[in-house]
Amino acid sequence: MTALLEVEDLRVAYGKIEAVKGISFSIEQGQIVTLIGTNGAGKSTTLRTISGLLKPAGGTVRFNGERIDGTAANKIVGMGLAHSPEGRRIFARMSIEENLQLGAFLRRDPAGIQADMDRAYTLFPILGERRKQAAGTLSGGEQQMLAMGRALMSQPKLLMLDEPSMGLSPIMMQKIMSTIVELRDQGMTILLVEQNAQAALSLADRGHVMEIGKISLSGTGADLLHDESVRKAYLGED
Amino acid sequence: MTDTKTLTTEQPDQAALKPAVRMPAAVAHGLAIGGGALTAASAFLAWTYSSSFPGDLTISGYPGGLQWLTLTAGLLTALMGVIAAVPGLRVLAPGNPGNATLLFAVGGVAVTWFTLIAIAVQLHGLVNLTSGGWVAGVASLIALVGTLGLPRAPGSTVCAPTRAEWLQTLYAGAGLLAVGYLLHLTGNGAAGLVMAGAGVVPIARLCIVLKHYTGPTPTLRAAKRLPVAVDVVLMILMLALALEIFAYGVDTPYGQLFVGFLAVLCFSLWALSQSGLLRRATEIFERNRAWAAVLGFLTAAAFVFVQQSDADAALGVNVLIFAATALGLNVVVGLAGLLDLGYVAFLGVGAYAAALVSGAVTSSVHATFPFWAAALTGAAVSGIFGVLLGAPTLRVRGDYLAIVTLGFGEIFRIVVSNLDGVSGPNVTGGPNGIVNIPDLSILGFNLGNPHTILGATIGRFANYFWLMLIIMAIIMLVFSRAADSRIGRAWVAIREDETAATAMGINGFRFKLLAFALGAALAGLAGTVMAHVNFSVVPDPFVFAGPVPPNSAFLLAAVVIGGMGTVSGPIVGATLFYLLQQKLTFLQSNELLIFGVALILFMRLRPEGIIASRRRQLEFHEAEDAPAAQLSTAGA
Amino acid sequence: MHELPQNLANGLFLGAMYGLIAVGYTMVYGIIQLINFAHGEIFMTGAFGALAVYSKLGANVSIWLALPLMIVGGVATATLVAVLAERFAYRPLRNAPRLAPLITAIGLSIFLQQLVWGFPGNKSARVFPQLPGGPFHLGSVVFQSADIFVVVAAVLSTLFLAYFVRSTRTGRAMQATAQDPDTAKLMGIDTDKVIVIAFAIGAVFAAIAGISSGLRYGQIEYNMGFLNGLFAFTAAVLGGIGNIYGAMLGGLVLGLAQTLSAAYIQYIPGMSQFGSQDWSGVWAFVILILVLMFRPQGLLGERVADRA
Repeated sequence: MTALLEVEDLRVAYGKIEAVKGISFSIEQGQIVTLIGTNGAGKSTTLRTISGLLKPAGGTVRFNGERIDGTAANKIVGMGLAHSPEGRRIFARMSIEENLQLGAFLRRDPAGIQADMDRAYTLFPILGERRKQAAGTLSGGEQQMLAMGRALMSQPKLLMLDEPSMGLSPIMMQKIMSTIVELRDQGMTILLVEQNAQAALSLADRGHVMEIGKISLSGTGADLLHDESVRKAYLGED
Repeated sequence: MTDTKTLTTEQPDQAALKPAVRMPAAVAHGLAIGGGALTAASAFLAWTYSSSFPGDLTISGYPGGLQWLTLTAGLLTALMGVIAAVPGLRVLAPGNPGNATLLFAVGGVAVTWFTLIAIAVQLHGLVNLTSGGWVAGVASLIALVGTLGLPRAPGSTVCAPTRAEWLQTLYAGAGLLAVGYLLHLTGNGAAGLVMAGAGVVPIARLCIVLKHYTGPTPTLRAAKRLPVAVDVVLMILMLALALEIFAYGVDTPYGQLFVGFLAVLCFSLWALSQSGLLRRATEIFERNRAWAAVLGFLTAAAFVFVQQSDADAALGVNVLIFAATALGLNVVVGLAGLLDLGYVAFLGVGAYAAALVSGAVTSSVHATFPFWAAALTGAAVSGIFGVLLGAPTLRVRGDYLAIVTLGFGEIFRIVVSNLDGVSGPNVTGGPNGIVNIPDLSILGFNLGNPHTILGATIGRFANYFWLMLIIMAIIMLVFSRAADSRIGRAWVAIREDETAATAMGINGFRFKLLAFALGAALAGLAGTVMAHVNFSVVPDPFVFAGPVPPNSAFLLAAVVIGGMGTVSGPIVGATLFYLLQQKLTFLQSNELLIFGVALILFMRLRPEGIIASRRRQLEFHEAEDAPAAQLSTAGA
Repeated sequence: MHELPQNLANGLFLGAMYGLIAVGYTMVYGIIQLINFAHGEIFMTGAFGALAVYSKLGANVSIWLALPLMIVGGVATATLVAVLAERFAYRPLRNAPRLAPLITAIGLSIFLQQLVWGFPGNKSARVFPQLPGGPFHLGSVVFQSADIFVVVAAVLSTLFLAYFVRSTRTGRAMQATAQDPDTAKLMGIDTDKVIVIAFAIGAVFAAIAGISSGLRYGQIEYNMGFLNGLFAFTAAVLGGIGNIYGAMLGGLVLGLAQTLSAAYIQYIPGMSQFGSQDWSGVWAFVILILVLMFRPQGLLGERVADRA
């Protein structure tokens, strides 16, 4: 049984400064795995390297058994690895519909695309109601929904979400988190990067704590949630 | 799970690096010294039968033309070879004397074989070479083989290119050759040049290999401080040598000699830096800054005594005008980071202003200012134009500014061509310009007449050379004072991040305007001398791009390739460009093409220029180091 | 003032040509925020490519047969030059500070001019074939076949581009890349390819403009791209850089402004000496500078990627 994603000794550097200093972790099919840690711990850099936006300085990334480190980002998407970036990064001047279509850029099956688009509208009804509206006019939470829906349009095997709860109201965050669980229950594998450790760990199968470029602690979501040091550092308890 | 692998370092095992040619050390030293000496000796032989190759290499017993360069390189190889062989002499070359010997030998091979090939090509065939020529060629190779057998320096790296690098070289070379051939078929004048470019590609690759073979410039512990008097004597000797070398370069009467001169010069400088001598020399100059400045100025002034003719002085004064203007542009581009593509117009404003008040009959202003007043007028008028131009345009964002300045440059050219009394009011004399500008007379000293000083006759251009040298010193002083002041730091802040600079209370617009005005005034100052040196001011030189300096494109190239933000960079760049353009007459009208290519290559390979300012180096390489493959930071 | 309609028409023809060139500036700037300073030279190589085809065909081939081949030749030359420039000069500098690609572009511009200058033949002006027919009269306005060519070409090209950007997959990829290149990659878009296509489309349009210029003036020059490129860049900014319709609109406005200023400035009291043809270049640059100073966002608003 090989893991869907295997990261081994991954190192990423900006100039002479190493932002990720040799981390290893893996994700099994159907799991939610979360990376938590403070700002600047290297979480987003890790995701950006896995999805091919950054070139690693060393180490390997295997997806579905195939090495993808150094592969161009646009090729990796086609292999079934979708990345919803930090800060949502929707195409603000395009309509919701066009954003979703771009998510399916590499697919050539109009019927399938339409079906998946309808699915996205079922998952997030608000998107369906405003499908012709420019994406820039949506609220933050709605934009996050659009970003997730767009990532799903490529029919990924693994969905990577970078801080989906950033800047959202508690209610909206609840909605997003429950959607993540819903997706997992439908069989999706998810790599979730979060600063909100409480929310992320309570739904994750496994969690890794990142500190200044290294994984300092690993375990199941529940274990970490009850771990003394995690509670102190990330959940604001003394 | 968490087995920590040891980081594999880039540095391979030091002991594994063997010299390229295996031989006992004694043999290697012997070959290096002997080969060097033999190379030097062979310069006294005749190399060819025909005296139609420039420099006359047919005489036995006395070197001529390019043979002098072979002689120099051979002697330096042998000398450094001795230092490398005798441990007791290490103090003379505290760095890597082995590497230095190798590089001198490479210089010898380069100039000798360049000469032999040039003879064969120019006189059609190898039969034109005598046995003396072959001796020289073989001797230089012996020295090379010997030096390649010397032990490798610590810190040198694996030098063999990778497969990809070989292919890259092959494709680049073959591609250029093919393109050159196609151009040749169509009769394009640049065909030869493109094919020559194909030849440069493998040479460049070899130089990179050599760079890896020798390793980085050695770092040395600071040397013992010598008494100031000793330092001063050493500085005088070094400057005198530099002056002699420079005068030789300026005086080279034909292109081949200049190319050979540049080859030997480049490899020798590289060798000196490897030997550690350059570092020691820099230390001496750095710890006696005031002395260095004074002696440097005197040395430059002494140029008029070592030159061969007043034509060389004319070259010298033009180089200085060009370099002074480039330094002014460096305030704008290098310090403040504003790309000005119409800069030559300020030189023009200064020149026209000086010409108008020079008392020339053709001037529409009938006034004769003394030089100090004319110089101030030129600088002031030019500075005012800078403010007038800058005030409305400097709020425009960076890349638009380049276009606006280009537009202003064009307007200047069109306007001065039209203000001839026919198409517009008569101010500048139109295309005929203002001619018969009288020579300057400063304190009763007429710069137009030759004078005899210390038994040497100082001609007209030499007089102007001295004047321009004083102005150059002023400009250098202004530049370095501005760069190191509060203003200079504000410019750096604006250049790097204007928004942040504004947030910190720096009035970006005011400092940019200051840079613009200062740069304009400096160019205007240079322009005032230019008007008198050339007897006339016409619109022709003040274009964006033209075949002769100064024009905006040449000035920009001098700054960018010389080194943005430094004092010496633009001076080196301007000198090199002006001399190349003057000396390489066989390029005919292809200089501009070469400058275009040089701009592209420098931006790609060494964006900080020949002489790198520390800060620029960081700026340019910081982005390059980022792992993002493309685009991602472009808009940030 | 009775020649006003004629001046308007001339401005329109000139503006259509500017518009065609401006599309290339605006597309490249919209995507990678680079002023492709060498774009004027792309326009020039297009004209020379067409002329090269014409001279190979020989003089006894009908112009109507030669013209399509000339267009193919011009477009192919310009596209090749633009794609090579992108690949070897600009792409390695994608992450460099802004000054680096701009200076590279200047170097490229000088290089291309000098390379073309090196071809044997008359250096200052080369005779370009003329379209037969005409002059045509429409009311008091007189125009030539070449004027029809440039207007038709501009209209067709704009329609094609509008369709391409709006309705094709590549067009959408282009829009996405302009807005956010990193995210576009995450959608599976090959942004390098998109950039090459932007350069290529710009080159096609510029080549057509180059041929139009040759047909209208009957001659081409190695440095024809310098001024025309500069004015076209102004047109692109005037219309709102990054906005392809803006490029066309900006071209027309600038063409009209330039023609009208050359024709009527002399009637302004005190300006009588500054109205002649000799000064028209100055007024064009004054327009350029005024536009960049007072309306840098352009008439239709610029469309630069909305990133922080």
